Amino acid sequence: MNPADVAQSVLPLTSSDLSLFTLFWHAHWIVKFVMLGLMVCSVWVWAIAIDKTVLYTRSRKSMDRFETAFWSGQSLEELYRSLSSKPNHSMAALFVAAMREWKRSFEGSPQKSFAGLQMRIEKVMQVTIAREIERLERRLLVLATVGSAGPFVGLFGTVWGIMTSFQSIAASKNTSLAVVAPGIAEALFATAIGLVAAIPATIFYNKFAGEVNKQAQRMEGFADEFAAILSRQIDERG
Amino acid sequence: MQIKTASAISTGLHVLVLAWATLSFSGKPFETTPAESLPVDIVSEKEFSQLTKGIKDAPKPVETPKPVVEKKAEEPPKPVEEIKPKIDEKREVAPNKEVKQEAPPPDPIADKLNKPQEKPQETAKADQPQPLPPKKPPPPKPQPKKPEFNPDKIAALLDKRDPTRKSITGNELNSAPSLGTAAGSAAQLSQSEIDALKARLYALWSPPAGAQDAGNVQITIRIRFKRDGTLATGPQVLTSGNGPVFNAMRDSAVRAVLVGQPYTMLRPDHYETWQEIDFVFDSSKMYSDIPVRRQ
Repeated sequence: MNPADVAQSVLPLTSSDLSLFTLFWHAHWIVKFVMLGLMVCSVWVWAIAIDKTVLYTRSRKSMDRFETAFWSGQSLEELYRSLSSKPNHSMAALFVAAMREWKRSFEGSPQKSFAGLQMRIEKVMQVTIAREIERLERRLLVLATVGSAGPFVGLFGTVWGIMTSFQSIAASKNTSLAVVAPGIAEALFATAIGLVAAIPATIFYNKFAGEVNKQAQRMEGFADEFAAILSRQIDERG
Repeated sequence: MQIKTASAISTGLHVLVLAWATLSFSGKPFETTPAESLPVDIVSEKEFSQLTKGIKDAPKPVETPKPVVEKKAEEPPKPVEEIKPKIDEKREVAPNKEVKQEAPPPDPIADKLNKPQEKPQETAKADQPQPLPPKKPPPPKPQPKKPEFNPDKIAALLDKRDPTRKSITGNELNSAPSLGTAAGSAAQLSQSEIDALKARLYALWSPPAGAQDAGNVQITIRIRFKRDGTLATGPQVLTSGNGPVFNAMRDSAVRAVLVGQPYTMLRPDHYETWQEIDFVFDSSKMYSDIPVRRQ
């Protein structure tokens, strides 16, 4: 057969039909399933990333605002009154929890429960910090999971696709690259999607984990300072 | 911000990226410059041995092997050739001789040998119009369809040997072998001649030490030969360059062309093809690609 004829009959199949859609459409259903799953993972990862970025930015800004208000010399009672109705961010929640415990101990029968007040306030603040951190960290594990498992899932799809394409090669009894190439390309597409999902997930996870750590330390620091202030108050009054 | 809003944004982004990828991602075929095709003739072992038989111990170029022709004339191979027209390289030479030498016999005994003499002429017409002997116009295209029932061809049809076999020019039949091969009239330099010329010139070319550092230097020299293999004019350097290394290499190449002068490896049969040669001295091939054969 004339080699030019062969080239002409084979080339359109391989070159023009290698669009992403046909790559996906010709794949085995397991590979399709893997691809779709990874695509959903990618969408979810980016949704979490957008959500968390906004959340952390807001949280950091409100912390800044609260700290300036707190150290501005404003009376704590006033601050409490303005915040107690809607403790909308982590540090405010911390402050409100501690103040509520303080007020409860004073407003009941004074001179009674001073002994354990210091400990109670610290406990309440610890609990609030834990709750706030839990809120900040929510869904971050999804990022970690996608980041570590995504490449493997994609690799599974690739291995499966290459297996099936080898089977079809054996069936067609032809090993020319034009026959082999589409199957391999379609199989490698699964790994590509896996990496596309996993790389941002890993990056975002590391970034967000660092951010959560920073905010948690900031809250701990504030909690300690506030506990010291309240402790002084207790000692002065008691 | 709700996670739902973020999901919607993320989905939108993915759809955008996917659409862009679908539009832009398309496998472009590699741009390949079509390689020049090399014609390859498949030579069977038998043919090859016959080829080399003719060339090895045959210094006589002119003598035509007559016994071979007689041998061929006994069995009529030409009708068979009509039936199975394979391409035989020798056709140019063989029928030429045959017709010329068979042409005399029909003249005296034209009536007797009417039939056997028509056949070679037919083939001569079909193959080559020019060697047709002018003596034989009288039988004007007798029967084009007759060869089917020609009883003389029965023998040829029964002949199971290869219809396109070549007449053996080796020791067996002919003590006066011809120089060259059946296809030896090709108007080209054969690869062995090119290699021999290359080997000789590269062996004589001794570029100065340090020429390797100069990188890949190519010097093209136009050489004009005389028929006896000596130079017709002085070698003409076509490559221009400067620098001491280049000058030394160029001068050395010119010296090599002058020193190696009787280029006996170039056969005078096709002098036209090597009358003028642009030879490329390539410094990168100097130490690696020298053919082993000398002359």
